[in-house]
Amino acid sequence: MVLRITRWLLGYVRFSVLGGSPERFYSSCARAGAYLWDIAGRRNGGACVAVRSYRSLRPCAHRAGCRLRVRERRGLPFLLRRTRGHGGLWAGAAAFAAVLYLLSLRVWCVQAVGNVSVPTEQILAGLSSAGLSPGVPKKDVDPELLAQKLMLRFPQIRWMSVNTQGCVAQAVIQEKVAKPEVVDRAGVCNIKAAATGQILSMKVYAGTPLVSKGDAVVEGQLLVSAVVENEAGGSLLTHAQAEILAETSRTVSVAVELNRRRWDPTGRVVVRRNFDLYGARFPLTLRVRPRGNYRLSLEKTDFQFFGNILPAWVYTERWEEVRPVDYTLTKRQAVEEARREADRRTKELLKNGRVVSSRPSEQWEKETLNYTVELICEENIAEQSEIFIK
Amino acid sequence: MRNRGNPPGLAEAGFPFHLELRGNREATVEGCCGVLEYDDDVVRVKTRRQVVRFTGRGLAIRSLTADALVVTGYITGIEFLA
Repeated sequence: MVLRITRWLLGYVRFSVLGGSPERFYSSCARAGAYLWDIAGRRNGGACVAVRSYRSLRPCAHRAGCRLRVRERRGLPFLLRRTRGHGGLWAGAAAFAAVLYLLSLRVWCVQAVGNVSVPTEQILAGLSSAGLSPGVPKKDVDPELLAQKLMLRFPQIRWMSVNTQGCVAQAVIQEKVAKPEVVDRAGVCNIKAAATGQILSMKVYAGTPLVSKGDAVVEGQLLVSAVVENEAGGSLLTHAQAEILAETSRTVSVAVELNRRRWDPTGRVVVRRNFDLYGARFPLTLRVRPRGNYRLSLEKTDFQFFGNILPAWVYTERWEEVRPVDYTLTKRQAVEEARREADRRTKELLKNGRVVSSRPSEQWEKETLNYTVELICEENIAEQSEIFIK
Repeated sequence: MRNRGNPPGLAEAGFPFHLELRGNREATVEGCCGVLEYDDDVVRVKTRRQVVRFTGRGLAIRSLTADALVVTGYITGIEFLA
C-alpha cells in the first residue's frame, strides 16, 4: 500500500514496448538503473516506470531496437499539471486552506460532561460569561481560570477541568457528594416547646424533664432542663435530648381571588427562523418582530457531526398572539383551589407531625374567598435551645 | 566500479545468486544479470554463472531492478542451465 502511494505521489508511466527484443530492453533498463514493475510479456509488452526515469529508457529501447509508446500517465505530478491552467482551483484551494487554518484557531464547540445536578445550560452559560463560548480564540482559553470561576459560581462542583481538543472545548465536571449533617451534641441546651399544646407522650434521652404526660404547655415553655443532678447532690450540664409528642392546634388561612385574568391564544402565530453559522446570524424568514401581546417561545436546533455539536444552529422564534380574558371562578372552583393551597401549606407546616382532625370554614366576601382550616395535630414540639456559657 | 548483477555479500559468500520461492507462485532472484527470454510460459534469467529457466503458466515479471527480479505466476519448473 505504501509502495502504491509512493508511486502515485511521484508519478509513473505505463508504456508499451513495440518491436525489437523486449527482453534485451528490460535487461538494459535494469542495468541502467531504472526500476520497472508490472512487466508484461512479449505479446502485450510493456511495463511501468517512475516518471522521472522514463526518459532514461529511450537509449535502452534504441539499443534493443524497440519503440516505446506511453499508454497511461498516472500520479500526482500529472494531476497537478492538468490543473496548471486553472488558477481558480489553486486560489480556491489556497482560500480553503486559509479559512481552515483561521477557523482552527478558535473554539467552535463547547461541551459539558459529568454534571448531574447542575443543568448543562447553566454550565454553558457560566462558561460563556467566564469567557468560553463558540468563537473565542483558543489561545485565550485559560482552563485553570475557567475552572476557578465556574467552581465559585457553582458550589456543587467539586472538580472541573476544561480540555481543548481541536475546535472542541470540553468541560469535565465532578460534583460534590452532599455530606451528612453533623449533629452537635457537645454544646449545652434545653428543650423548649415549639408550639402550644397538650403533651401526649415523652421520650427523654438526656436532661431533666420538667413536664409530664397530660400537661398543657405554651410555646417557649421549658420542657426538659439541661441541668441534671447526680446522686451526690451536684449538678451537671448536659445536651438535653427528647422527643415530646403533643396535641396542638393550628390554623391555616388561604385567600382566593374570584376575579381572574388569563391570556388565551388568538390563533395567530408568527414564526421567525435564523441560521447561526460561526456566530454570524442569517435570517431565514423575512417577518419582522410582531408588536402587541405575544407569547414568545424559543427553540434552538443544533447540528451534530459524530456527536460533536457544530457551530451552526437554527433558532426558531414562535410568537403566539394572546388576548386577555377576564373570568370569575365559580364557588366550587374557588373552594377546590383554596383546599389545594391549604393542603400544600399544611404539609409545609407539619413536617414532623400529622393532622388528627381538621375543620374547614369558608367566608365569602365580594371578590374573595377566605378559606380557613383549623387543625388538630400531633407533632413533636421538642425544640433545642442552646445555652451559651462563658 | 558499478556492481552489475551481484548483490553485496552473495559473491563473497561464494553463491552466484540467491533464489527465493513462495510456493510455486512467486520466485525472487537476487543476483540476476538480465532477462534472456520472457513469455507467458517461460522466463529465462541470466545470473553470473548460470541461466535459470522458469516454466509455467501466466508467468510475469512483477518488478525488475539492476540486480533483482520477481517472477510471478504458476511455476511448474525451474531449470539451472550452465
